[in-house]
Amino acid sequence: MPFCVLSMMNKVKCSLSLMVPVLIPSWRFFDEIAPSPRIEFSFLDDSAGEPSWEVFTASVERVSLLQGLKRMFYNGRWNEGLFMVSCAERLMNAPTQHSEDEIYARLIRNCPHKPHAKYIKFRLVFIYRDEQGELARYMAYDAKPRAIEGELL
Amino acid sequence: MSFELAVRLSEIALGFLFLLQMGEHLRSASYERFLFIWRGVMAVFLATGFMPSFVYVSLIMNALFILYRFQGPYNGGSDRMSLLLLCCLAFAHFLPEQYMKEMALGYLALQLILSYFIAGYVKVVNSEWRRGRALQDVFLFSAYPVSETTRRWADKPYLLLAMSWSVMLLELLFPIFVFNAYMLYAALFLTGLFHIANACLFGLNRFFWAWIAVYPILIWFSSQFLGT
Repeated sequence: MPFCVLSMMNKVKCSLSLMVPVLIPSWRFFDEIAPSPRIEFSFLDDSAGEPSWEVFTASVERVSLLQGLKRMFYNGRWNEGLFMVSCAERLMNAPTQHSEDEIYARLIRNCPHKPHAKYIKFRLVFIYRDEQGELARYMAYDAKPRAIEGELL
Repeated sequence: MSFELAVRLSEIALGFLFLLQMGEHLRSASYERFLFIWRGVMAVFLATGFMPSFVYVSLIMNALFILYRFQGPYNGGSDRMSLLLLCCLAFAHFLPEQYMKEMALGYLALQLILSYFIAGYVKVVNSEWRRGRALQDVFLFSAYPVSETTRRWADKPYLLLAMSWSVMLLELLFPIFVFNAYMLYAALFLTGLFHIANACLFGLNRFFWAWIAVYPILIWFSSQFLGT
């Protein structure tokens, strides 16, 4: 069977398997408050450079009533941030190249960087409440640096 | 509410939700933008009732492409509910017999009831939720609070305890409300407020539109099968 037909059949099979949880959902919202991921990123001049980490966040200091109303109808940046959080969680549960690619592409598109920056790198830091009830954090994933050029999806 | 009216109202609401989704992806990369423009155009047809058979097939294909593109729903539960609504409406459109159509929408109504009940059950069996600590953690360190001002709600433990129990009781008791028309309307009003609060505090705007799009089906189901 030609490769393109096999590839197409695999894509159809994959899409249909992704449809199953849609038709038989679980609805276990917030059953536990798991460690929460933060995506930290750094633009680099060269791939071996020392990272200077910044936290990627779509949140702001304050949301006014008017902004809140507007966000009921248009909340693109926030929803994209939630998708990146999903990708971060997927990288922990079932890592795929897709999740890393999605995070990289969206970091490059959304985060301003200096013109001479040639590489980007991200890591995942999880925040949780420890046994003493204090907030604690651990680094759980360290992605390899990636060249910025040609990365935009 | 009649079967036809419930379907029409849900189609309009789902079309509106898909249009909002298109708006949010207009500045995305080209292939992603194409997928959501496709969805948006079909959403207009869905809301206006134009060529429904073609529109349903097209939207289901579009949903499969989008699921493959993001390797799952883009925004978790809200996208699952909107796609479940789409699939059940499509089944109701294509199935030949009226009782089959009603079964498709009955399944959707049951899933809506379960979405509240299961969400309430998994919370109430967790001691962290019963003590209000879980909601405190959501505000304190989860990725959801939309602003730093909202994150400071974590410093109000008694308010969060009251909010936790209000949400759990509303979700757990929801299945009882569907047996009485007045109680159902009151419950839907409260759950609507709950979704608005989630949208304001946690930015989950798609949940609001996805869940209220299913409400007409539940109102029909309740009047048809539960004698309200």
